[in-house]
Amino acid sequence: MSVFSRLGERRAGFLAHRAGVAGAVVLAVAALVSLLAPLFVPADALDVTRVTADAWQPPGAGHWLGTDHTGRSVALLMVQGTGTSLFVGLTAAVLSVGIGTLVGVVSGHFGGLLAGALLRVTDFFLVLPALVLAIALSTVLPRGLGTIILAIGLTSWPSTARMVRAQTLTIEARPFVERARALGGGHAHVIGRHVLPSVVPLVLVNATLAVASAIVAESTLAFLGLGDPTRISWGAMLHQAQLHGAVPQRAWWFLLPPGLAIVVVVLAFTLVGRALEAVVTPKR
Amino acid sequence: MLELKNLTVHYGHKRVVHDVSLTLAPGQMLGLAGESGSGKSTVAMSVLRLLPKTARVEGEVLLDGEDVRTMSWGRLRAVRWASASIVFQGAMHSLNPVRRVGEQIAEPMRLHSTPGSVAELLEQVELPREKARAYPHELSGGQKQRVMIAMALACGPRLVIADEPTTALDVVVQAQVLAVLTRLVAEQDLGLLMISHDLSVLAQTCEDLAVMQGGELVERGRTHEVIANPRHPHTAALTAAFPVIGAPQHRWTEPAPAPQPLLRVRDLVVDYGRTRAVDGVDLTIGRGEIVALVGQSGSGKTTLARTIMGLRKPSSGRVIFDGAEVAAKGRALKAFRRQVQLVLQDPSSALNPRHRVFDAVAEGLRVHGVDGDHEALVTAAVERAELRPASLYLDALPHELSGGQQQRVVIAGALVLQPRLLVADEPVASLDASVRGEVVALLLRLRAELGLASLLITHDLGLAWQIADRVAVMHQGKIVEQGPVEQVLLTPSHDYTRALLRAVPQV
Amino acid sequence: MRLAGRIGGAALSLLMVAVLGFFLFRVVPGDPVVSMTRGRPTTEALQAELRAQFGLDRPLHEQFWSYFTSLLQGDLGTSFTFRRPVSEVILERLGPTVLLVGTATLIAVLLGLWLGVRAAWRRDSAFDRVTTGVSLTLWAVPTFWLGMLLMMVTGDLFPSRGMRDTDTPPDFLSQALDVGHHLVLPSVTLVAVVCAEYALVMRSSLLEEMHAPYLTTARAKGLRDDLVRRRHAVPNAVLPAITLVFLRFGLVVAGAITTETVFSWPGLGLLFYDALTGPDYFLLQGLLVVTAGAVVVMNLLADVLHGVLDPRVKVV
Repeated sequence: MSVFSRLGERRAGFLAHRAGVAGAVVLAVAALVSLLAPLFVPADALDVTRVTADAWQPPGAGHWLGTDHTGRSVALLMVQGTGTSLFVGLTAAVLSVGIGTLVGVVSGHFGGLLAGALLRVTDFFLVLPALVLAIALSTVLPRGLGTIILAIGLTSWPSTARMVRAQTLTIEARPFVERARALGGGHAHVIGRHVLPSVVPLVLVNATLAVASAIVAESTLAFLGLGDPTRISWGAMLHQAQLHGAVPQRAWWFLLPPGLAIVVVVLAFTLVGRALEAVVTPKR
Repeated sequence: MLELKNLTVHYGHKRVVHDVSLTLAPGQMLGLAGESGSGKSTVAMSVLRLLPKTARVEGEVLLDGEDVRTMSWGRLRAVRWASASIVFQGAMHSLNPVRRVGEQIAEPMRLHSTPGSVAELLEQVELPREKARAYPHELSGGQKQRVMIAMALACGPRLVIADEPTTALDVVVQAQVLAVLTRLVAEQDLGLLMISHDLSVLAQTCEDLAVMQGGELVERGRTHEVIANPRHPHTAALTAAFPVIGAPQHRWTEPAPAPQPLLRVRDLVVDYGRTRAVDGVDLTIGRGEIVALVGQSGSGKTTLARTIMGLRKPSSGRVIFDGAEVAAKGRALKAFRRQVQLVLQDPSSALNPRHRVFDAVAEGLRVHGVDGDHEALVTAAVERAELRPASLYLDALPHELSGGQQQRVVIAGALVLQPRLLVADEPVASLDASVRGEVVALLLRLRAELGLASLLITHDLGLAWQIADRVAVMHQGKIVEQGPVEQVLLTPSHDYTRALLRAVPQV
Repeated sequence: MRLAGRIGGAALSLLMVAVLGFFLFRVVPGDPVVSMTRGRPTTEALQAELRAQFGLDRPLHEQFWSYFTSLLQGDLGTSFTFRRPVSEVILERLGPTVLLVGTATLIAVLLGLWLGVRAAWRRDSAFDRVTTGVSLTLWAVPTFWLGMLLMMVTGDLFPSRGMRDTDTPPDFLSQALDVGHHLVLPSVTLVAVVCAEYALVMRSSLLEEMHAPYLTTARAKGLRDDLVRRRHAVPNAVLPAITLVFLRFGLVVAGAITTETVFSWPGLGLLFYDALTGPDYFLLQGLLVVTAGAVVVMNLLADVLHGVLDPRVKVV
């Protein structure tokens, strides 16, 4: 009961942030598009060998976002790519935030050598450029969706770990944790009843922001040609655009939509994340 | 010199100061007492128009006959610090952390082109002149507060406002800082408006006293008259909260005949790295006995308490509870912890802000897997802690309760396990004066009804006088003197105990 | 003591970089030679010969030892595509990247910090809303896409490929002007994205500081608002912001890779792209070690700088 009433307060708090609500609406639309994609896109419409339209058609009656270098409809490619971008963004974020939370709580709660070593490793990966590592990882691993997710998830966890660790330390320094220890509570009790409940809201905020950066990272890897060659994503479309000279051709209709879609979805995640953050962190 | 006429301050619809009128003549020292939220700091800030823009100020604030409220910005800036200056509370944060204190003292002098030297100012507050080159974090709390005083005097103001100038300082350091402040104010014939929640501090410094409650001025007069014959019940509650050591009416307990020992500490040593925090302590607490452990901060008393509870490992020595040595870990330690419960200083942070009262009190039952009707046990414990009826409180979150109620919840959380010893670390230090007495009385009643023994850790000798059977004085990790309250506090045998007693402000 | 500790920490990090570079390309599933020759005609014998050439047929610890000892001597192996020592190739491309990254970082730091300070001081003003909104949007923009967009929008106004034209007269002034002309689009791209981040960092850092009690002290002393800001608030807020700027140097490095790829700027970023399309493992490994090492060293510098600027941190 108590949890729900507090959730109610939080929902009201969230609704007060107009930008956050707008972001949530955008995300709902994007999710709907990706789920309904099979209905929009005929099975062979994106098969290069079967398309009949000319290449580089500007937007017009037949193709309202024009066609790409092989004559496929840009509009249909956009719809098809939504799912890939969202899926990679979400799963990579879950992986990264999961690792980060685990490392953060463990290194914050347990002292000693283990915590020291974990902190050292976290700091090391925190300063290394994540994208460079992700590039290296996806170059050596076989191409595919799993590789992309792994490459992004395995390289972007340190900031979450840092934040969760800081929060864990803050909570553990509070007298109520000392009181719980004095009551006889062990590690499981302190982590389960005190640390995790206070970390979860922050982790949710962090996860939302992590999806945003994971989507940018996915598009960057795909742009560099490290994506799954069998799947269409917004980043992969931009890779094709670069490869086949959309810029010299002035084929703005092939360049603008995927980029704008990335910006809008990433911005939406960011706004939702910031609104959640404002709701979750207590005001001074 | 300073005259407040019908000062009223609103934040939005919330009225924090209502119709306050005060006057202060040159050379006069006026104390303004009140609990947190009484509006006393808002009054101080309004004198130099330092309130945030959201504050709506009505009435008149006359500084040398000129209304601060209607001054131009340029005039206001000229008046600030040159006519009146402030010693802020918490020098720790009120000094810029990355600039040398000398520069910070010199800054207003340059700004208002006042002659004088930083070295002289430092000498006046009894700091060596080399300290001008120090950064705030390199100074102790008392030294920082002296820097604040030197800074306040830099432009030769005629009025100094001191807002809780000694809060968070140790008794001994507090006495030193107060001495410096009062000497300078008297020498330079300044007006002093001193604001504090601590009536004893004001009583010692100021000849006039004003008391605020809920934004209103409830009493005003000569200090000794106000304290001797308080007319307003709030003033009476405040004065009662500061027990006079040696006064029989402030001694609430009868010493019991020497009871059987419950807890014995033998030659306990605790090291933090290379520093020895507890150095060979022997201490005995009898069944149902209240023992006060007093000393300055850093004397090792908190470390000793933590070690007794098994929260820290001793370097050597023994802790014997009820005839058996306390185990270092495992099930035996857990069983021991059920019998010994901790009550912490600040109840607002000793309760998890997300846990409702029921969960906070039931935490111990869950940890120890106690069988039975948790609801009935929790209700009983909460009512024992005098939150009646319990049903009103069980669903509340900590921030919905007052400080006194929160501390009762913490006590209920301890009682629910039916312990035999309570370790109370400054249990009333962060409570408002008016509720302090109630919590102290509760501790005594629990002893009478349940035979609960207490180890009371405090810097407050008055509290020890109020309720303890025996006192142990701790200094630099050692217990320098212990014995019955009357003996230790009235006829101290150790120099350190005498020094502590001298530093206590007398009402 | 502290300085020695920091240097020791950085040395340990560099060692970890070296270890990471080695294992990343050897322990991962899949035979490096197989993926290196993917899509090219190959035979078993050729693969075996490649393995021997790269020392991949020896036990792992021997491989590591020889990798590590040559790394200490500055030998990063031989590039597969360029058929030259990796270190030589990297050195050759260092100049253009330093020019691009240096210019962009300098502009982005100055502009970003200035924007952040103004936005925070006038919180919720129109300026703040616009700055924050634009920064958040730019943060969402993929660097490479911004580059392609700029290229398309500006058309022939600025050269969009390479660093200099072949027909520029050889005198210094014309050469410098030509390079500067080529530098415009890539640096604008990089500045836009990085500066947005800096502005947001600076803004939140100053907002944190704005409630500090010592600012009330400064106001009570009679300081004008802009003096309170200039003398007290900003210097305190800039310190953590500067440290963060250095900490996020990796961000600039990542941005440089895609920017150089889009504009064919002949630096390390473009080399990265070449290495991963090869794929040229030794080149990639060398680049990874060099960039990661550079980031570690930058961090050490930031740390030392912080210690010098902030008296609360004790150096030595």
